[in-house]
Amino acid sequence: MAIILSEMDKAFIGEIRERGGFDIRACVQCGKCAATCPLSLAGFPFYIKKLIHAIECGMREEIMEDPSMWACQSCNRCVEVCPQDVKPYEVLLALRRAAVRELSVPGNTIEGLRNYYKTGHAVYPKGYQAKRKAVGLSEEPPSTLSFPEMLEQLQEFLRNSELNEVGLFPMKKEEKK
Amino acid sequence: MKKVGFFIGCNTAFNRPDNEASVRYALPKLGVEIDNLDGQTCCPAFGTMPSIDDAAWAASSAWNLIIAEERGVDIVTTCGSCYGSLSESYHNLHDKPGMKDKVNEQLAKIGKQYKGTSKVRLLVNYLYNEIGLEAIKQAATINLNGLKVAVQPGCHTIWPSKAYYEGESDAFHPARLRELVEALGGSAPAYSRLTDCCGMGAMRSASPERSMILFKKKLETINAELAPDLIVTGCNSCLMQFDMSQDQLQKKGELESVVPAMHIMQLLAICLGADPKQMTAMSVQNMDEILNKICGVKI
Repeated sequence: MAIILSEMDKAFIGEIRERGGFDIRACVQCGKCAATCPLSLAGFPFYIKKLIHAIECGMREEIMEDPSMWACQSCNRCVEVCPQDVKPYEVLLALRRAAVRELSVPGNTIEGLRNYYKTGHAVYPKGYQAKRKAVGLSEEPPSTLSFPEMLEQLQEFLRNSELNEVGLFPMKKEEKK
Repeated sequence: MKKVGFFIGCNTAFNRPDNEASVRYALPKLGVEIDNLDGQTCCPAFGTMPSIDDAAWAASSAWNLIIAEERGVDIVTTCGSCYGSLSESYHNLHDKPGMKDKVNEQLAKIGKQYKGTSKVRLLVNYLYNEIGLEAIKQAATINLNGLKVAVQPGCHTIWPSKAYYEGESDAFHPARLRELVEALGGSAPAYSRLTDCCGMGAMRSASPERSMILFKKKLETINAELAPDLIVTGCNSCLMQFDMSQDQLQKKGELESVVPAMHIMQLLAICLGADPKQMTAMSVQNMDEILNKICGVKI
């Protein structure tokens, strides 16, 4: 694949800076983050150093089509070692935020967000009640699952948040039965 | 009596409630009362609100922080990811210019306000700094008698160190989990990949095969350098990875023998006299042999 730099998306880096990756321009591609990034160690094509380089080159499509950004472990090793204080993980989050607005999102991410809206929990596996009971705990944890009026309040907050703006799934107020 | 707000987190509540039960057993034994933080939610996980918007992330975490401050307690977590997300939000709320005002504007719509009076603490750090190794040693009724342990602190329990006000003094040579195991009578030597990622987390969802590359490398190093009796984690997600994935590798014929894994709170609860079977009831691995060894009797 030929990359013709003059045809790349020059506005891309501006969007990334606005969405949280403000210090991306301080990156000198030294590679300290790459040496410690789980994405690079596991063989993903776009680990954080390459993502930053690709954003600087305006390679929006190439990055969006690749699943690497969604495999980031959020481990923050890159933030810890970066000598330029780029805060690379914030660049990565900004990238995901840009992807979400193009609706370029993996199914399990949407599922997690939907669970969070519906229950207060992003991870919400079936059959947990029996497991909890087996170790002597209440079937429901003392979370929004046990306090419906607080769940309603959380949902109202989320309906007023950016989550509703991006429109990954319908977030209508449920009619009281 | 000391009091803390127990932030349970999704994976602990639903997948490893035995770890939750361990926290609920161990803390009161050490003189710490638990507040349930009624109405708590997801931290939120990194793949959710943090991947949508900066301020919405901080506001979602603030939901939980507010519950703690209304009760006048600090938050303790047993899960590294919850510790990470909540701590980064706390850090952003306090150190990012304008963030607190922006968040409070959002929260005002549901009649809430974030003040910033409750801190977020990992249980490893809470035990180490608040209870102390000596008090733990005194309270334990079981001594591990030199049991060899490989520790797995967990990425989110150490980095980014700037977000953790009571973090390890050397963020690339974490020592506290090793010292806690040693206080219980175990031996917990360092090994070369001690701070490597176990592969759990978003990567395991995105690509189980690639996640396994990291896991196998780490596990092979643990076995080659230490050949431990037990793996002890500081993070609930790492616990799940070491429990489930060894079993899967063995079934595929890629692993000869498995090393049992526990979270530090499970091991602590057992050493404080809890029912060892109940404290490890959700393990996929067979725990009989290691529990017999720890308890010194057949259980």
